[in-house]
Amino acid sequence: MKKGFSKTWRSLLSWPKPRGGPRYSACHFCDTLHVSAPVEEGTAANCVRCGAVLYQNRPASLARASAFSLAALFLMVLVHVFPFLTMDAATLRKNLTLVGASTALFHEDAPILGSAILLFTVVTPLVLAGGMLYVCAPLMLGRYAPGAGQVAKWMYRCEPWNMVEVFLLGVLVSLLKLAKVADVHFGIGFWAFGGVMICMAAAVAGIDREELWDRLEVAKS
Amino acid sequence: MNPPRYPRAIDHGLAGCHTCGKVSPVAVEKCPRCGTHLHLRKPASIQNTVALMTAAAALYIPSHVLPIMTVVELGDVTHNTIIGGMIRFWKTGAYPIALVIFAASILIPLLKIVALSWLCAAATGRVNPSPGMLGKIYWFTELLGRWSMVDIFVVGILVSLVQLGNYMSITPGPGALAFAGVVMLTMFAAMSFEPRMLWDRLEDLSATPANPTTPPET
Repeated sequence: MKKGFSKTWRSLLSWPKPRGGPRYSACHFCDTLHVSAPVEEGTAANCVRCGAVLYQNRPASLARASAFSLAALFLMVLVHVFPFLTMDAATLRKNLTLVGASTALFHEDAPILGSAILLFTVVTPLVLAGGMLYVCAPLMLGRYAPGAGQVAKWMYRCEPWNMVEVFLLGVLVSLLKLAKVADVHFGIGFWAFGGVMICMAAAVAGIDREELWDRLEVAKS
Repeated sequence: MNPPRYPRAIDHGLAGCHTCGKVSPVAVEKCPRCGTHLHLRKPASIQNTVALMTAAAALYIPSHVLPIMTVVELGDVTHNTIIGGMIRFWKTGAYPIALVIFAASILIPLLKIVALSWLCAAATGRVNPSPGMLGKIYWFTELLGRWSMVDIFVVGILVSLVQLGNYMSITPGPGALAFAGVVMLTMFAAMSFEPRMLWDRLEDLSATPANPTTPPET
């Protein structure tokens, strides 16, 4: 009896909710107001009117978000240490690194483009993965890291500007463009960046926004 | 029969936070959970979207007319445009990559500008398609917009790699800056658009009876 109860309880409770009154969620798409009900692990609550996802209950959310963002951070180190592409042309050997692509533009008097590349491929992924780890890892122990609310806010603001996968496509296109004039091959950096892409996607999808903020609110109080 | 009326947060003076999603009375002004300023609807969303979109449309032309990079090969100077690069790939038989460049650099920015204008027209009631379909279009513009950046990254990569002294060198052109402007402006335009306005429109339409002369059923 008790065992059955706790099992049902666990599957329904989803995540700890802040105290106080009925809890509402408003669809971000059509503004329909819903009374938030807990959903079972692995499922989502959809808007009754437009069908948009209101919130999801992701399994092992905090652990997955922390683990994948930590992995992404490790892989980012590899990305900056090893070249993406190595080009042999005539007697010269050139290596492409992520920072190299943007500093080259700075040297060629295109500072805006250079900083855009730096921002979208280096800074944003770092803020996203670092922020996720900073917020989620202490939450596993029920702790609210100092300034976690601000960090989470900036993390979600950065999200649309994270262009890791677009840069990978850019590397592929460049490789095809250069294939005729030089001997080009992939380096460890390319594969590591592919890993960053997968880990970042898994970390962001690992925890629902609503859950993260609810847990932060509970941990803070 | 009329479709069922759904309660909206705005009808209760409640606002869902843009950042954390918490629903609070709009009267408290700042979200009690994350401190973001609360709005029932994004302020001046149509004006902002139209302004950003117009700027993007204006930059779209120079971004394709001006060279995105200049290649100096053994003293020969060639100016490359985005379309020229795509045509070269197509002629050499690299069809998939030519299609990717066509989609990312030519089609997506253009479709985004058209789609957002249409969404703005729908939100202000100039056209009346179903909000469900419009929602899909909006989601599509938000999802695909970032992929247009690929050409900017290619310029960065090529400029960084191909610095082979007198043999061959590549420098960025003014078209690249214009194109980066197009991509970023359309992204900001999509962010400033308020999808809830599409549904508000439907609400307003069903609130006023379609045929006021028909007597109410008893």
